[in-house]
Amino acid sequence: MRIRILFTSLFLATFSNVAAHAHAFLDHASPLVGSTVASAPHEVALTFTQNLESSFSSVQVTDANGARVDQGKAQISGNSMRVGLKSLSPGTYRVRWHALSVDTHKTEGSFTFIVGGR
Amino acid sequence: MLRSSSCSRAFALALVFLALSAAEAFAHCFVGPRFFPATLATDDPCVADEMSLPTVAWSKTGDVPAATEWDVSVELSKRITEDLGISIGDTWSNIHQPGGFTQAGFGNLETTLQYQLLKDGPHELALLLGLIVDWGGTGAINSGLADRWSTLTPTFYFGKGFGDLPDSFGWIRAFAVTGQIGYQFPTRNFDVDTGSFIPQVLAYGASIQYSMPYLKSEIRDYQFPDFINHLIPIVEMQLSTPVANNFGNSGLTTGTINPGVIWVGTYFQVGAEAVLPVNHSSGTGVGFLGQLHLYLDDMFPTTIGRPLLGGSSAPPQQLKF
Repeated sequence: MRIRILFTSLFLATFSNVAAHAHAFLDHASPLVGSTVASAPHEVALTFTQNLESSFSSVQVTDANGARVDQGKAQISGNSMRVGLKSLSPGTYRVRWHALSVDTHKTEGSFTFIVGGR
Repeated sequence: MLRSSSCSRAFALALVFLALSAAEAFAHCFVGPRFFPATLATDDPCVADEMSLPTVAWSKTGDVPAATEWDVSVELSKRITEDLGISIGDTWSNIHQPGGFTQAGFGNLETTLQYQLLKDGPHELALLLGLIVDWGGTGAINSGLADRWSTLTPTFYFGKGFGDLPDSFGWIRAFAVTGQIGYQFPTRNFDVDTGSFIPQVLAYGASIQYSMPYLKSEIRDYQFPDFINHLIPIVEMQLSTPVANNFGNSGLTTGTINPGVIWVGTYFQVGAEAVLPVNHSSGTGVGFLGQLHLYLDDMFPTTIGRPLLGGSSAPPQQLKF
């Protein structure tokens, strides 16, 4: 009986008002995380599991020497973020992103991709 | 009497949960790009707004003949500030002896005060200090499932992801370890009921875990099915060794090793582990441990998912890129 009271109380409290927001995880990237692409991509596109706060989310792409190869400010819409790239030569590139989901949860991450099969 | 106090406690626990509804939010255990899931047998290295509801364990005791034990636990964790948190939890146990005799009831109420010492994102390192208090006399003493005395356990927790290894380490970077070590001080030295000394105990545990979400988003996206990409295979270990005031008792280390897996979702996680006793004193055969764990900071980001104090009402600082 007492267990039932406890569980019922907590379940009612827990599920009575669940908001549809959470941390934004990287769901998909183009180029794929860790992939090797034969030809240089023109942009990096990231898709997240939650909608993003555009003013506080960002992405940058750097080459093996740490030099920026993206074209600046990312375009952010809904749960996606994309940034144009300069002309890339064969090599390894790192994508670093920061995301703020619409309920102010912050996440971050980075990954590499390789151009030209090197 | 016992029934009345247990009902009151159940209501109190629910009311505490409801009352903590007016503060500010950030995260459960994110450290840089690393997410440490809530572990089942040990504790993760972060203060957080979360709830285990329930944790269910089944095992056979080390008695001869072995008794069957069911444990159902509930734990609620709440941040007071960004770095300071409290937890409150309890366990209901049912131990069935082969001859038909059954003990059932609550254990003592357990609270934990925790302080986040460090979250180092680039090195995926988290350090945490805690004080666990098992409140004597709050459980089913007459059933033999709770002690009359309290126990204080200062505990140190850590978590370390291997994502800061060079890229050449590849898939190995998705591994992480967590651990905890605590020293239990009972508030009494001698149990007059059983005529035995009450030992001071070193309680320690660890986990090694492999994060498929981390592999997918940080190292290489193999385009596995979505279900696979949410899994964190894990092996936990929890042990305790009497180290002082143990005259006349066995000094044997007891504990379990628990291989299992955790599925991590957006608002909750589900974990299941086998429970393997390390020796006969720790149990008999293979047991089971399962848990549903709720991320309150994600479920209720504007209410109970926030710290009670110190949360900023200002917008976050704009990232500079």
